[in-house]
Amino acid sequence: MNDPLSKDPLSKDPLSKDPLSKQATARDVARAVMSGQVRASAVVEAALTRIETTEPTVNAFTDVIADRARRRAAEIDSGLHRGPMVGVPFAVKNLFDIKGLPTRAGSKINLDGPIAARDASLVRKLETAGAILVGALNMGEYAYDFTGENAHYGPSRNPRDTTRMTGGSSGGSGASVASGEVPLALGSDTNGSIRVPSSLCGIFGMKPTYGRLSRAGTYPFVDAFDHLGPLARSVEDLALAFDAMQGWDPDDPVCTDRPTDPTLTALTEGVGVLRIAIAGDYFERGAEPEALQAVATVASALGATKKIAIPDAAVARSAAYIITAIEGSQLHLPRLRTRPQDFDPDTRERFMAGALLPGAWYVKAQRFRRRYRAAVQRLFEEVDVILAPATPCTAPKLGQVMMKLGGVEMAVRANLGVYTQPISFIGLPVVVVPLPKPDGLPIGVQIIANHYKEAAALRVARHLEKEGVAAAPPA
Amino acid sequence: MAEEKPDIGRLVDEQAKAIGLSIAPEYRDKVILNYERSLAIAQPLLAVELDDELTPGPVFRP
Repeated sequence: MNDPLSKDPLSKDPLSKDPLSKQATARDVARAVMSGQVRASAVVEAALTRIETTEPTVNAFTDVIADRARRRAAEIDSGLHRGPMVGVPFAVKNLFDIKGLPTRAGSKINLDGPIAARDASLVRKLETAGAILVGALNMGEYAYDFTGENAHYGPSRNPRDTTRMTGGSSGGSGASVASGEVPLALGSDTNGSIRVPSSLCGIFGMKPTYGRLSRAGTYPFVDAFDHLGPLARSVEDLALAFDAMQGWDPDDPVCTDRPTDPTLTALTEGVGVLRIAIAGDYFERGAEPEALQAVATVASALGATKKIAIPDAAVARSAAYIITAIEGSQLHLPRLRTRPQDFDPDTRERFMAGALLPGAWYVKAQRFRRRYRAAVQRLFEEVDVILAPATPCTAPKLGQVMMKLGGVEMAVRANLGVYTQPISFIGLPVVVVPLPKPDGLPIGVQIIANHYKEAAALRVARHLEKEGVAAAPPA
Repeated sequence: MAEEKPDIGRLVDEQAKAIGLSIAPEYRDKVILNYERSLAIAQPLLAVELDDELTPGPVFRP
């Protein structure tokens, strides 16, 4: 079999793990299946067994599609569907269309909606690369969430401490990867919904440039900010999945027609020439000491000392919040009128309030977005990569409504994304790296690059992983 | 931004009528709370001054 991985030097990694274990990365599995060391059917059975035994603890899945996964694995074992991700089991946030299932998007209401006629674009791309979809993952209702809690399906639980939140809204994505159920999951990120669970669950997560990956066949939230991306336990797996998913798609109007930019082979380039700075000012205020310590640890490992202020980051967060509230609420207004009792109580009144906000605020926020983009572009003339906290704190307790940040009492739901919102507001690519803590909870750091420079953020993340600063062992 | 504090309860009631959204009594307090929270978070945006030539972020290409 032709082995695309054999062309890059990383494929000789002596630290490859048992492809049937929960420690195995996507690359470990692909290499083992490709070389004939293990059959795809065995990989899928091992994943389904892990899911069955782990679900009572983490509640990451809403749908397990065992029959379909077994069929796909059998086809692979018979010589079909070869590719760089051959045999890799993965799962997707349940706002991705899966043929034959209703697309829940975390809601009860959508169960009465249409059954998906075909898979979402990114699911098809990963399966074209040889990966095997095993199910759909829990999420906060309609993605209006930073906690991973859900009144209809129960909260996803943080594998690092199951009394705590996964973060959201891609909570099931975070829990499934952090627990080792699957090596790879897809999530969506409108204001931080990949980055927050990556930080709180202690795994790697990637939010690419806005428009870089197709959103076709996924349930929307806020078109202006909606991104899709991978969560995994290694940087190589992020790059592997990202590379498989790139490419123009006429079914998503914002999907870029720029050429694809393979990142996996770029990981070996190191960080030597990259100019790396630390986000100060707004990104140092209101954080708990562990969040700031994580940034300091990463900066020290990279030899980064330059500090920059992202101008008007507080205004950007404000504008992102307003655009989200108005655009998301307008999407759901018909259902707020007819089925308010069927919403999650933690989203219903936020959507209702958002539907009443002045349209002038929305337009002003979009005009400010243009100015902010230009200001941040000027910063990228001086630096290539910016470091910032991913979350202001480690995982809060499940059900926790208020938290104290910098000595100030504030709502958990509205504020877990204070450091992610000013970045996705203008669609910058970000990789979150997890810093594990042996006797405590992990926390993540955002590695932020300029538009379409995902490779730079991935190279920094890979360097930190190789140096042992960042790591995401399964729970 | 008016300096006088708006009556958010009344604003919510009247605006909901204007857009045909019926808010049940048991939801009303939390809607008001969330409107007040949005108003507070919006302040940095409402305070900023923008040049007239700034166009909105999204650009429609026919």
